[in-house]
Amino acid sequence: MMITKLTALMLLLMMAATLPACSTVQPWERGNLAKPQMALDPHPLQSSLRAHNYGSREAAAGGNAGQGGGCGCY
Amino acid sequence: MRDKEVVVAVINKNDKVSSLKALTATALSLPGILSPIAHAADGDEVDFQYSHYQEGKRDISVSEVDGSSSGISGTKSFNPIEVDSLHGSARVSLTDRVKFAFNYLQDTWGGATPMATVPYLASGNRAIKNTADALTGASPYAIAGAGLKNLFLGSRSNRLFQTDRVDPNTGLPVFKNDTRLTHVLATASPETRKQGDFKLSYDWDNAAVSVGGGISIEDDYDSRFGNIGGRFDFNQKQTTLNVDLSYTNSYTHATLDHDDYTKKSLLPSRQLTEIVGESGTTIEKTIIHGTRQDWATHFGLTQVVNKDVLLGADFSYTRSTGYQSNPYKGVAIAFVDNNPDSNTYGDLPPGVFPTQIAMFTEQRPDVRNQYAVGGRYVQYINALDAALHFDYRFSADDWGIQAHTFEGDWVQPLGSGWTVTPRIRYYSQDAADFYAPFLISQQRYTLDRLVDPNKLPAHYSSDQRLSGFGTLSGGLTVTKQFAKGLALETGFEYYTHQGGLKLGGGGESAYADFDYWVANAALKVNLSALGNSGAGHASHDGHAGHQHGAHEPAGVMFAHTLPKAGDFMVGYRYMWNSQGGDMLNGTSPVSDQAVVDRGCTETDTLGCFLTPESMSMSMHMLDLMYAPTDWLTLMLMPQFVDMQMGMRGLDGAQSIDIIPNNLGHHITHHIQNPHETGGIGDLGMYALVKLFDNGLHHVHATAGLSAPTGDVDLQIRRAHANDGGYHDYGMQLGSGTWDFKPSLTYTGQVDKFSWGAQANGIVRMEGKNKSGYRLGDMFQGMAWGGYNLTNWLTATVRGVYTVQGSIKGQYNGSSVGQFFNPNNPKEETGFIRVNSQLRFGPQDYPSNYGGRFWDVGFGLSAVVPSGDLAGNRFSVEWLQPVYTDFNGYQLDRDGALSATWGVAF
Repeated sequence: MMITKLTALMLLLMMAATLPACSTVQPWERGNLAKPQMALDPHPLQSSLRAHNYGSREAAAGGNAGQGGGCGCY
Repeated sequence: MRDKEVVVAVINKNDKVSSLKALTATALSLPGILSPIAHAADGDEVDFQYSHYQEGKRDISVSEVDGSSSGISGTKSFNPIEVDSLHGSARVSLTDRVKFAFNYLQDTWGGATPMATVPYLASGNRAIKNTADALTGASPYAIAGAGLKNLFLGSRSNRLFQTDRVDPNTGLPVFKNDTRLTHVLATASPETRKQGDFKLSYDWDNAAVSVGGGISIEDDYDSRFGNIGGRFDFNQKQTTLNVDLSYTNSYTHATLDHDDYTKKSLLPSRQLTEIVGESGTTIEKTIIHGTRQDWATHFGLTQVVNKDVLLGADFSYTRSTGYQSNPYKGVAIAFVDNNPDSNTYGDLPPGVFPTQIAMFTEQRPDVRNQYAVGGRYVQYINALDAALHFDYRFSADDWGIQAHTFEGDWVQPLGSGWTVTPRIRYYSQDAADFYAPFLISQQRYTLDRLVDPNKLPAHYSSDQRLSGFGTLSGGLTVTKQFAKGLALETGFEYYTHQGGLKLGGGGESAYADFDYWVANAALKVNLSALGNSGAGHASHDGHAGHQHGAHEPAGVMFAHTLPKAGDFMVGYRYMWNSQGGDMLNGTSPVSDQAVVDRGCTETDTLGCFLTPESMSMSMHMLDLMYAPTDWLTLMLMPQFVDMQMGMRGLDGAQSIDIIPNNLGHHITHHIQNPHETGGIGDLGMYALVKLFDNGLHHVHATAGLSAPTGDVDLQIRRAHANDGGYHDYGMQLGSGTWDFKPSLTYTGQVDKFSWGAQANGIVRMEGKNKSGYRLGDMFQGMAWGGYNLTNWLTATVRGVYTVQGSIKGQYNGSSVGQFFNPNNPKEETGFIRVNSQLRFGPQDYPSNYGGRFWDVGFGLSAVVPSGDLAGNRFSVEWLQPVYTDFNGYQLDRDGALSATWGVAF
């Protein structure tokens, strides 16, 4: 569990360090961010398929519980 | 799209402040600005996706046990896991702020997968050979002392096997150390999982809440889940926080074969139900069951860093309690005999002790707490108009598994609507604390019920998913966005799992390595975009109603053409067909005895033993239409089918014991486990030619071709060391032949009344398919009438007459006798080659297919009259059998349901 906490802390620190550095991006400056390729998940349909395949072959938590997915008992 | 309309209205005020607001609103409404749940609100969309998962062959060792040879050899495994998946989803705005999303998923999978791990020289996989002595398969054969060769344990727990050599000095046998391992593979017949889920969300300007839920059902596992979530935007939407909470309740109820090799005697009694046979002593079947609950919570933060960078962080925690084992996985345990009987083993060198290996069902802990933290970085690359996505995730649990995932995507738009996305992913995990490829226990094995559990660990599993390994995968996604809101997406991924890829080394050895590839294709229809482009089209096209098929019953195919050149239509068609009730011969119900005596007509017949009790088929079809000219409409119809059949024993049938070579035991499996098949069906390609159209009457002819893309060689898994043979003809997914499908259709409409008639047929254009038979030709005639109840709803009634021929030919290799092939010299148990299809019931005989049928259909058709979804058509029809005259002996018909959706643009 040590590593978990450490990583969580690292990420939080990273976020915290980044936040103040963010200059305000005005809505009209968000043209690039609004492009489809900049979507957090540009291919959601494929992502769910891939997550299902990984989930049936790997033991790590996908962070996607509550989405179903069946036994994957093969 | 509504946001845009609002924007236009605001700008028209010519107010500078409002313009700014409007621009802000536009920017904020664009995709990508919002959080991950935003893609549920990117506009109304309907998507269809098909994917195929194919595992590669694994390295295993097989043994020959025919007495002539005791060789152990390495080979590639046979028939690895395949999965066909279908995913349909719809996202629609119910109001400006209320969105509804729905998903339907269906997987059919089958093939060989590891059930346990044993020492290489103990094998555990028995060779299956054909008459030419060539290796054609392997089946698990892991009975202690029989299938598994004796392993001896030396000092320092060396794994020793006896050689043929004798030490000349001591006169004692020579042993060699062999540390290699092999999987024992077991084959599963195809099984289908179906899942439906939904999400309802409400959006405020700077926040959203959602509630969702769903259910996933397969033969041995049900899962129900619900979730609530919220999204909160801060700081002018530069920061977004997502919070989700979900609950899943899953129930495992796995029926294990009575000849299953894994022993269940160590399982807690609450997980076990044993059904005792009529004799009162033998256990006919064992059910392993258990309930599992998962609570999961997830926090996600997304931050706009600057105009080119997005940053995300996630934290999730999942607590799982209850039954978390895989009921089909076993752990091989080597029981050490510290006081060996020299009559059995002879004199052994000092320090060498014999073991007996037996397999026991795995047992995992009842509680698992998992944590995951992740970060995501998205960078816009100005020079290339591309985006780089980088993700990292760390996950840990109290089973001792820590895992790292790294993933990078490069999303590259190429112009003209093309986008290419290469990606790479690396994953590494430690083994679970209780993972062991196999176990050694310091106790002598006699009976599994006498094993002392105190000399075993509390939990154990040999499941490869809990071992230490790394995986590397890479793939490519290609997307083409067409005008009018249509997009095609296709992807390919290759994945390799290797013990040697584990971070820091120490992964499982190479015997457990495997790989897979997945290919998928998706069609995405953006309804909002269609609505826009089609708005003018719909208004000028006053008679679009009948042209686009609002009035045809849902079950009628090829019922309409597209009105003019350049038109498209996308549709989805679902058909469900059910059989049940009495067995019929011709038009009359018959007794079991009649089926036994006359339903299985074959030379040297022992009669029928079982009969279908229920049968259902679902078909999902995509309806893609395009009119290159005013008079011609082209149509492509891919299909996805799945079938299920339940069987029962026949009263008056002979005892299954008279069936030679233990083959009768297959009957028990047939009755206990419903048969399931599924996957892609045949692909239809059609040309519809308009012959006459005066607005009142319309006639068109259709010429169609059906390509044999559906499987016709699906087989039942082996049991009792014998092949199950082909599934019956009705359970195959396609015809296996190229088929010609002509039809002629007439439709008419006056005022509120509409009507139509159609003649259609199927002509098989080949003598037989690759499995040796062909389905009968078919002719169908029908007429229907419709009445508009309102301007958007039509009621229909239809009469249908169908003639379907019986099957010609039969499965390859099933020409002589009901069970035997006397030309086959090899009849020893373990090598017995029987008919390719074991014929136990009427469904196994080609003459028991086809017939003459009358049906009456009642339907409703609706078209959305206005709003964003204007022009979308839905129809549903129930087809009720009124007259059935079967060829031979068949199960009565219950009826058929058709439902369709379509939109033209």
